Amino acid sequence: MEAIIYICLGFMLICSFLVVRIKSMLKSAVALAAASAALGIIMYVLGSAWAALIEISVCSGLVTVIFISAISLSNTDKKELQKLYEDKKRMAYLPVVLIIGGIIFIFVALSTDSLLPQAVSVAQEIDNFREVLWNNRQADIWAQAIVIIAGAIAVTVLFKEKDTI
Amino acid sequence: MSNFNLEIIILVVGFLMIIAGVYCLIRTYHLLKILIGIEVAMKAVTMFIILAGHINGKINLAQTFVITMIVTEVVVAVVAAGLAINLYRKYGNMDVRNLRKLKG
Repeated sequence: MEAIIYICLGFMLICSFLVVRIKSMLKSAVALAAASAALGIIMYVLGSAWAALIEISVCSGLVTVIFISAISLSNTDKKELQKLYEDKKRMAYLPVVLIIGGIIFIFVALSTDSLLPQAVSVAQEIDNFREVLWNNRQADIWAQAIVIIAGAIAVTVLFKEKDTI
Repeated sequence: MSNFNLEIIILVVGFLMIIAGVYCLIRTYHLLKILIGIEVAMKAVTMFIILAGHINGKINLAQTFVITMIVTEVVVAVVAAGLAINLYRKYGNMDVRNLRKLKG
């Protein structure tokens, strides 16, 4: 199963690079969705099936739809975008930064003998997710409800057409 | 090469994704692109939380944190997209430098 994780990690890194580097916003949003899908597969293989389900359906689906809606509402020509933001020139050093960062991180990983402890088996833990979510982490559920309500109110205010006072 | 186990490779890839997201965050002026940079960095942090749950055996706790994080991420994306569209309606582009002109 580790081979799947390695493939998905590589795919996710390439997608993240493309997300930042591509000039077209639409392609960038689609690459972000692909990275989310790869992350969902990694989560599933690591044993967190419920989080993977939500990651794929929400981050890879809903967030992409939000981005594409925003892009379609602001239909700007690609050449005009490039002229205004000069992203091609400004993003030119990204490969250099990533290569230097990668070399530094690999060097740090090689120089430490035991950076991380060995993973514990999670087979007996998988079944009681419902108990942890609804009984042990009730504060999280309330916080999520409040955040969703706050977001809905914010969107209502932001998309208001006229003042109703 | 014995040090290169799965966890370390996940850590290195996650840090590289955070670098890419932060680079996007500080180098562009497009509000939606900034939002996409934040999303890329948050993907890496989500992966780190799952990795932590995988290492210490408390994967269910990590899953609840990730679900909370995904909800927050979606709300941030929706609100920021609304801000970006309002900025576009007012100025005709999504340049964050225009936000400095707003008053009151």
